[in-house]
Amino acid sequence: MKKSWLRGYIAKRLLFAVIVAWGILTVTFILVRVGPTSPADHYLANVAAQGQDPSQVVAAIEARYGLDRPLHQQYLSYVGNLARGNLGWSFSNSMPVIALIKTHWIYSFQLILLSTIFAGVIGILIGIFSAVRQYTKTDYAATFLSFIGISIPNFWLGVMLILLFSVKFGLFKTYYDTSLSLLSLANFRQLILPVITLGTGMLAGYVRYTRSAMLDNLRKDFVRTARAKGLPERTVIGKHVLRNAMLPLITIIMFDLGSIVFGGAYLTEIVFGIPGLGRVSFNAIFAADYAVVVAVTLISAFLILIINLVTDITYTYLDPRIRYD
Amino acid sequence: MTNRLNRVKSVARKVGGIRRLILILMAVSLGTTALLDFFVVEKIFGPLVYLYIALSTIVGLYVIYPLYAGRRLTKYYWVRVKRNRLAVWGLGFILFLILLALIGPFFTADPTAVSFEEKNIPPLGFTIEESVYEPETEQFIAKTITATGEHPLGTDNKGRDLLAMIVSGAGVSLQVGLLATGIALTIGTLIGVMSAYLGGKMDNILMRLTDVMMAFPFFLLLVFIVFIFGPNLAFIVLVIGLTGWTGAARLIRSQTLSLRTREFVMASKALGASDSRIILAHLVPNVISLIIVMATLSIPGVILAEAALSFIGLGDPNVTSWGMVLRAGQQSLDTTWWVAVVPGVMLFLTVLAFNFVGDGLRDAFDPRSAL
Repeated sequence: MKKSWLRGYIAKRLLFAVIVAWGILTVTFILVRVGPTSPADHYLANVAAQGQDPSQVVAAIEARYGLDRPLHQQYLSYVGNLARGNLGWSFSNSMPVIALIKTHWIYSFQLILLSTIFAGVIGILIGIFSAVRQYTKTDYAATFLSFIGISIPNFWLGVMLILLFSVKFGLFKTYYDTSLSLLSLANFRQLILPVITLGTGMLAGYVRYTRSAMLDNLRKDFVRTARAKGLPERTVIGKHVLRNAMLPLITIIMFDLGSIVFGGAYLTEIVFGIPGLGRVSFNAIFAADYAVVVAVTLISAFLILIINLVTDITYTYLDPRIRYD
Repeated sequence: MTNRLNRVKSVARKVGGIRRLILILMAVSLGTTALLDFFVVEKIFGPLVYLYIALSTIVGLYVIYPLYAGRRLTKYYWVRVKRNRLAVWGLGFILFLILLALIGPFFTADPTAVSFEEKNIPPLGFTIEESVYEPETEQFIAKTITATGEHPLGTDNKGRDLLAMIVSGAGVSLQVGLLATGIALTIGTLIGVMSAYLGGKMDNILMRLTDVMMAFPFFLLLVFIVFIFGPNLAFIVLVIGLTGWTGAARLIRSQTLSLRTREFVMASKALGASDSRIILAHLVPNVISLIIVMATLSIPGVILAEAALSFIGLGDPNVTSWGMVLRAGQQSLDTTWWVAVVPGVMLFLTVLAFNFVGDGLRDAFDPRSAL
């Protein structure tokens, strides 16, 4: 009974995810085609210096990329190519987009992973502390600081950290050194400022979520029962309150990953020159390299879709209450 | 006179109330001007002016008027807001910012005026050492640049006045924040209330649409669209407004669900009120407190999104925004650090102020919270 219900739910969610993925694909395609400039115009800017006839070049490019075919054919080949993992050719990097992404994704990944760990651990701890001591000075200080944390524009925080620690005190280099091996200590050292930049806003958010999730559960009857039984406060907080608060908390953290963290990582990479996908897309914008911008947008959207799908399914599996809604 | 008033009243009754009449009149007149703008004369108004007129009419009819009509309740809320000191400070800062944006441009220089004789001037209270190339002696000599009262916040490496740029940026940020939030909340309210009130299939369709919109990574979508269509302030406002309504729609839907079965809605229905009348006259005014809180709390996100766009170079090149100044400051961080510091501080304080006010309003509107 339980199994079959869950299977039906997963099937429904998967179907929805597929529809959304198709929607994302189609919207991107339409936006590129409706846009005021043809991708060929941008290729043109790059070949104009070579002394060829512009109109012939445009025609040749349009023929080569299939831009002269009817729209529905272009759409079908676009979807077909994506399904086969072919994301197109990046002319500003002279390599297939998929190869470009394969070499650069790891830099974004390490930044997001380290920031999430940093913000998650510290944020949840402060949140618990703040909730347990509700309406004390500690609690007010934590709430006030979390307000400041969510209000600081993260790209500005990054610039200020560089100004203070790199330019004034010379503690860190002002550029990101890609020659260092990813797991070396020097690489972690140069990621300190970027992780603080991306992590501060996340941390402040987690403090607030944890605090309110803890407070919700602290007022529940089972907590009073646990205390009445004479359980030590540690067990009450750790086992009875925190475990129940964790579930909604993890969901919010996962959803945040999609909506806030990806955008934040994009800007952090630009400020610190970390060659992750955000920086790649940023460079591509200025080179007007459509294929790369489209690919990074699509990949992020799909990742967020998958993260949300997994979160939803895990949540439903772990929390029996919402199954009967 | 009374005769004419009666005639207006009867017309209003025919279209379903005086508010509806004003809305229709606005739509017709804006539509006519837009058509004239497009086909006959060029540019009576810029696109932002249309947004201003439309949104201030809607806000006036559905936010300001209900607040005025319920003066006693509004006063009660105001007393509760005033108890939150941070919210009052926030409100003060927002008012200061509005004044700065409205009056400031008359007192400051042109934010785009370049003057290389006056470059790299630090803000008041600071002096900097700079090595300057001397053509006669063919040597670099150290030169001290002191602050001048003419440029209280200093100038950047092209000699543009920082104060003027900050004043201009305040206007841009407020415009983007208010207009985009206005669009987003108008759409969000309509979709949320309709979804809850109509229920069934309509609810399902509207909520799935909201889910699909929510699945898009907001900032990346924004970057993508602006990259393809080119940076233009009115366009950026529209895009943020048209993509940013999802959270509001969901919250307002859940709030309306509990209103739908209340007696006053039933009574109105029994008296033969149409769906649109129930939605606009009974449901929307009752979620207005939620709408105000949502609006205040979503303005910071919008302001930050526009600043981030300008910061990465996708801002409207025809206006000076904080993000753009910050970008210029970052590029010359080792000489003119103040150009990066000041716009960021302003951005931070603005976002903080709106967050404080939003939080204060939420507590004030919540009858359960003891203040």
